[in-house]
Amino acid sequence: MAYEVQYYPGESVIAENRKKHLNPDHELEKLRTIADDDIVKLLSHRNPGEGYKTVHPPLDEMDFEEDAMKDFVEPIDGAKKGIRIRYVQFTDSMYNAPAQPYDRARTYLRRFRGVDTGTLSGRQVVEMRESELEEVSKILLESELFDTAKTGLRGATVHGHSLRLDENGLMFDALQRYVYDEDKGHVVYVKDQVGVELDEPIDVGEPLPEDKLKEITTIYRYDNVSLRDDPEVIKVVEEVHFARTNGGYGLEVLNDDLQSKLGGN
Amino acid sequence: MSTEVDDSEIDVIKASDVKIFPYRILKPKTAEKILNDIFELDGILRVLINGENLPQVVNMGPAKGEPVNHTDRTTININGNEVPLSVSVGEIILTVQLDNLDDFVSQVNDILDKHIDFGFSVSTGIFTKTTTSVSDYMKYGEGFEGRVDSRLIGLVDPSAKSSESVRYIR
Repeated sequence: MAYEVQYYPGESVIAENRKKHLNPDHELEKLRTIADDDIVKLLSHRNPGEGYKTVHPPLDEMDFEEDAMKDFVEPIDGAKKGIRIRYVQFTDSMYNAPAQPYDRARTYLRRFRGVDTGTLSGRQVVEMRESELEEVSKILLESELFDTAKTGLRGATVHGHSLRLDENGLMFDALQRYVYDEDKGHVVYVKDQVGVELDEPIDVGEPLPEDKLKEITTIYRYDNVSLRDDPEVIKVVEEVHFARTNGGYGLEVLNDDLQSKLGGN
Repeated sequence: MSTEVDDSEIDVIKASDVKIFPYRILKPKTAEKILNDIFELDGILRVLINGENLPQVVNMGPAKGEPVNHTDRTTININGNEVPLSVSVGEIILTVQLDNLDDFVSQVNDILDKHIDFGFSVSTGIFTKTTTSVSDYMKYGEGFEGRVDSRLIGLVDPSAKSSESVRYIR
């Protein structure tokens, strides 16, 4: 019997958006264009035009023990060339940012190869071979996963996802990596992801309107779509909760053990 | 040793707090306008500005030591007094004399309506410390009662320098 992958439970617009992110066949909507060199500058791992640093010789030139797994899995290009691993990290505001850490983790693992991602309450880091990282960062920054005001490209000092927005609707950033250009209505990055000032500001375009964010967000909110409005999600969450609780504590095992000690079967 | 404080010995200020909580983090310019209008009202004993700390230099990560130059860390002018902000203005707590509280709150609401178009809430109660505690002894030392302006007690962090965090506005 063939099953169709559901990706995520629920029928609300939030659940649908999560399904879209997780489904690698769904093409993410491209909302803005950022030049490749600008992305390299924002990531701050190398200068534009500079070659990639390597940490080991190309795989073809290395000797390995016999390992069937190495034949099964085709290495990604960066790994073949021995390029070092670098990271990109995003912070997503609770005010209806398009993505959020868990959604990002699942999305990265569904869509990209060679990723090592870490989920934290307010930020999501992903480590990859640098060459692949730049390609992935371009997709992440240009697509519907990113909003210029509610999502922040932050390598360090990420605090701000749970704070109120500023008067222009931008998420708080202690390092003020990006500012709102009031004349153009655009968000402009003046610092790279770790907070070093850029030679030239990078315009990442205008923030998405609130209505659009409410349509594309993957965050359940009481003032938009509540988690309680999605019965199937609640059902799954409850099932996971009870399975973890019962399974984790091993109540049945304990019960049997206790009975035997008390002289039962 | 008794921790009871004899009210007759120290000058007790009968006051209440009014907390202004805007639904967005205020720009220094907006905060300046609001505070200047509020300072024209009668009965204000002190004003406390709370918010996220804005560092002067990056204190972690690869950019450690780089200047931040946050545009919100600026100096605002209140009644002709220069007040340097070291936090983003998240909430304002006003300590006011109790006898004219109702009038005061409605006037504050009017001022906020004039300057804020993204919503706010104003609540009254006690939002600052009212009794002397260990933190105050840490900051001012033993037997500081009478030596220190009573409005300063419990106002700032024991580790903060008063010269940076407290301004007298006349």
